[in-house]
Amino acid sequence: MDHDTREMLLDTAGRFFAERCGKDIVNGVEKGVWPADFWKEIEEMGLPLTAVPEDKGGVGGNLADLMAVLRLAGENAVPVPLAETALAHLLVSAAGGTPVPGPATVVLGGLALNNGRVTGKVDRVPFAGVADRFVGVANSGGKPVVVVVAKANAKVTAAPSHAGEPYGSVVFDKAAYEFSGDSAVSADRALELAALARAMQMAGAADKVLAVTVEYSKQRVQFGRSISTFQAIQHMLAELASCVAATIASAEAASRDADEGGLVDGGSFSIAAAKTQASDFAQRIAAISHQSMGAMGFTHEHILHHYTRRLWVWRRDFGSESFWGEKIGAAVAKAGPQALWPSLTSSKYAA
Amino acid sequence: MSIPKLEFPPFHLPPEAEALRVEVRQFLKETLPSLKTEDRFSSWNTRSSEFSKALGKRGWIGITWPKQYGGSERSFLDRYVVTEELLGNGAPAGAHWVADRQSGPLLLRFGSEEQRQAILPKITAGECYFSIGMSEPDSGSDLASVRTRAEPVQGGFRVNGTKVWTSGAHHNHYCITLVRTSGQHGDRHKGLSQLLVDLKTPGVTIRPIINLAGRHDWNEVTFNDCFIPEECLIGNEGDGWLQVTSELAFERSGPERFMQNFHVLRELVRVLGRQPAKRAGAILGRIVARLWTLRQMSVAVAGMMQGGKSPAIEAALVKDLGTIYQQDLPEIARVLAESDATTEDDMADFLDVAQYATMMAPSYTIQGGTTQVLRGIVARGLGLR
Repeated sequence: MDHDTREMLLDTAGRFFAERCGKDIVNGVEKGVWPADFWKEIEEMGLPLTAVPEDKGGVGGNLADLMAVLRLAGENAVPVPLAETALAHLLVSAAGGTPVPGPATVVLGGLALNNGRVTGKVDRVPFAGVADRFVGVANSGGKPVVVVVAKANAKVTAAPSHAGEPYGSVVFDKAAYEFSGDSAVSADRALELAALARAMQMAGAADKVLAVTVEYSKQRVQFGRSISTFQAIQHMLAELASCVAATIASAEAASRDADEGGLVDGGSFSIAAAKTQASDFAQRIAAISHQSMGAMGFTHEHILHHYTRRLWVWRRDFGSESFWGEKIGAAVAKAGPQALWPSLTSSKYAA
Repeated sequence: MSIPKLEFPPFHLPPEAEALRVEVRQFLKETLPSLKTEDRFSSWNTRSSEFSKALGKRGWIGITWPKQYGGSERSFLDRYVVTEELLGNGAPAGAHWVADRQSGPLLLRFGSEEQRQAILPKITAGECYFSIGMSEPDSGSDLASVRTRAEPVQGGFRVNGTKVWTSGAHHNHYCITLVRTSGQHGDRHKGLSQLLVDLKTPGVTIRPIINLAGRHDWNEVTFNDCFIPEECLIGNEGDGWLQVTSELAFERSGPERFMQNFHVLRELVRVLGRQPAKRAGAILGRIVARLWTLRQMSVAVAGMMQGGKSPAIEAALVKDLGTIYQQDLPEIARVLAESDATTEDDMADFLDVAQYATMMAPSYTIQGGTTQVLRGIVARGLGLR
């Protein structure tokens, strides 16, 4: 996708999300209402196929194009499995399959493929409650194989996320699959790609939190003046801006590194660092925005919680700061003190 | 809803800068072991004129400056790489640091041809060092309130006043001094000028100000009827505020704002051993991720500057995040080492290092613009003031 096409895609997607993804849709999902029309429009725009090659029926964009779309989705609290379906399509197409329309999700961790059947249990699977298909990278005699399991062959126990999205536990008990194919990426890599997607969604959500909070502080009048004129508020918002900027910068750097380094292992360290950073800053971002907006921001009526609750959930999805931090820490320790600086400058676990 | 976007577009240092990195690393590997410095862990505060001269010989001081003044006419990004390699490898680069970072660039931009020819080649040779004459007893964050007065007299200025927190004045050759050349104290930004002051000038008295760690870095510099020749005026009389603001942009944007105590992190990795416990690994990894992010942001700022932009708000934001990271690091590291250091010997030694870093930490969020000044700048960028 050339620069202009990409700009056009992002412009169109950004305007579409802003216009169509209102608070009624986000609140509706929390009440269990699936926004079928909204999803249909997302599919018609081809967004879940952003990073799927054209010969597989996709849009032909690269990984960075997809991640940029997901940042916009995060910025609008898009409450449907766009990230999950896009990743599922990417995994399937990279394993030689052709993506099938319909909402899907990724089931990452501990799946085994034996004698043509899939077995495994994964908790906190995003959008498990609304997915038509489940896509994972299963271990088949030591080789990674992408499997697609239809809803009918999976046991789903609903466990909605604290952002009200239909998460749940998924059990495959010798489940039949619709598709299987040798995976282009390892199961660990699939998790990295999912973590990158979340980091970019968090970047978008963080950006929105800043915008909402700054705007509110300018309009809210107390003691006869807008609260944005108080130095105490200004300094809080400046700190908020720092945390948001760091979240965006790390996610964008990881997205670039992943894209440039290729689907198989590009930007491995950068993704871990970005997800760690985004998850680490989520609390500070939420805390400052809520403090700045007082009781108003704590109501269900206001939209702030669409973003802060997602930040709190997303920081745990596909590896928290503890998970990715440990991975980085273990690698850095193993490489020893002299390797630390060269590793940092080359964005590698160990240089 | 629209607020100014604070974007840090991911930026790659170009291949020639990365090639230079390899050269600098090799040079440091050969040069550093033979140097004797008083500090166990050197940084941009540790002085070694021997090191500065060796670095100057390689053409790596004033690396971006025109060749006619001893520079190497290389890019700002090449300078970035040299700077971060000095910091990452603990080089004692303190003697020439200020001259390379801000005094030289200031003279290049605003100085007279005579000033440039007389001074810049000595800086690039690693032989000429500078102090910053901004703060005064009654002027810290509120820099425009300076009282040091330079009264125009026949052939120059008669200077009276006091500068404080003047790092290295007892070693350095010059101090670029912000003075009031006209108007009154209350005139704020108007009537300020910058003078190139030779610290050996009669009437200049330098007294130590010892910091809480017992170190003599700072000085009080007093000017008592000190005659400064008119050819030592930098730029135009009355343009001091504009000049000093551009100088501060250089001072705030560099990697020294998050790499100053890098040795604490490196030593932490050493004492935690090759296989730390899960919890310790996670904490270590989170610190590393934070530092990596700061570096990505700082490189992005360097990319913007190379692209001809003036990312003053972005630079302030990186300094704010970076200096707070530096303040957190010794504390996180100390607590972690207490629970997870692999040997008793290592731990005792490391706690000493961390303790010293903790003592130095308050300075990070004060020097070069306090946290509060920086947040004021960012708040303005957000359209709040």
